[in-house]
Amino acid sequence: MTKWSATVIAIVSAVVLQTSVLPIYIASPFKPDLLLVFMVFLALRVSFMSGASLSWVLGLVKDVFSGLYLGLNALSFLLIFMAIKHISDRLYTGSAPLFVIAVSIATLSCASIDMLLLVMFTESPGIAFSMSVGLVPHLLVNAFVASFIPLIPGFDRLLETP
Amino acid sequence: MAAVGILTALIFYSLNIPHKSNANVIERWVLTVFAPIMKPFSQLSVFGEDVWDNYLDLVNVRRENLHLREDVKALNSRVIAAEEVSQSNRRLTRLLDVKNTIKAPTLTATVIGEDLSPWYGTLVIDRGSSSGIAEGMAVVAADGVVGQVVKVALTSSRVLLLTDHSSGIAATIQRSRARGVVKGKGDGLCQLEFTTREEDVKVGDIVVSSGIGGVFLKGLPIGEVTMVKRGEYGIFQTVTIHPTVNISHLEDVLVVLRNNND
Repeated sequence: MTKWSATVIAIVSAVVLQTSVLPIYIASPFKPDLLLVFMVFLALRVSFMSGASLSWVLGLVKDVFSGLYLGLNALSFLLIFMAIKHISDRLYTGSAPLFVIAVSIATLSCASIDMLLLVMFTESPGIAFSMSVGLVPHLLVNAFVASFIPLIPGFDRLLETP
Repeated sequence: MAAVGILTALIFYSLNIPHKSNANVIERWVLTVFAPIMKPFSQLSVFGEDVWDNYLDLVNVRRENLHLREDVKALNSRVIAAEEVSQSNRRLTRLLDVKNTIKAPTLTATVIGEDLSPWYGTLVIDRGSSSGIAEGMAVVAADGVVGQVVKVALTSSRVLLLTDHSSGIAATIQRSRARGVVKGKGDGLCQLEFTTREEDVKVGDIVVSSGIGGVFLKGLPIGEVTMVKRGEYGIFQTVTIHPTVNISHLEDVLVVLRNNND
């Protein structure tokens, strides 16, 4: 299986899990953001060029199934990817705790960037309050999900040479 | 010699014919000797027979048990399937009742997904432009208003729920006819906005669509007033509404095939 087909399968699985499977079993504030977790994984593992475009695509996919504004998460995912990529060369990216911390910070950043962009460019009264209220459970769930990713065999292997 | 032996045996036999009902010495002696030996062997044989029968029974019981387990599994899945069909039937019957009351063509759709993020309220349904769905169409369930179609693809569409921050539905209080706009609060509740302080709104009042705006037909149930707050200042009162539709358990919805241009 090529890396691209594995990536496509991972994205499709994440979307299906998040939209159609998990909502049946878990309450809304506890939905994990699997696409964001995947984006952080990419930021720590793949080269800038392919990772940046893939992160933008991941955000775009999220926008298709979430909210009303196409491009909102695509932009925030790209910004977060670039920020993580900027410092990832100086970090031991095979570390599991680092991955959990990176996902937690990315969750906070994503919510903050989304909130800022929504407040600045759209008319969504009350969205800031809803996001603030739902942020803590969302952060905890994302960190919880991220803690399982290092258990996947081959996590500490680089996907491609930077 | 052999002839003598045969003759002796014949004589012995003939002498014993009249005493067929009585045991002679030989018979008594043999019986007496063998009886104590025969008894435990007989009991052992009975025990052995019991063990064998039980073993056979056990084998049969095990086989029967396996069969019964399979039967129970099959019956359980049938019961679950029947229950599912029954619930689906009940749900669709209620939806059909609503469909009959709506004076516009409608289309039944199934909810196939929810919003990826926890802070937005949208759903994905399994009907799209190929079924005649267009942006802006109203979506209702058996209990009342669900929202409106916002993004349409060929075979699926996204529905903006009435509880989303971006949603706004022109509404009226059924009892007092007070008007306002139902806006989503994002936490599964809505708020009736632009209702002036003087309007008569009470907890328990039913809120229905007013038909203004042309998206929702007049009189569709939206929710029930759960809280009314009138501050000392300000023109409007704060009215919180609990939607009549259980958003988290929506499975089938009706799309009203009419948009505000019609």
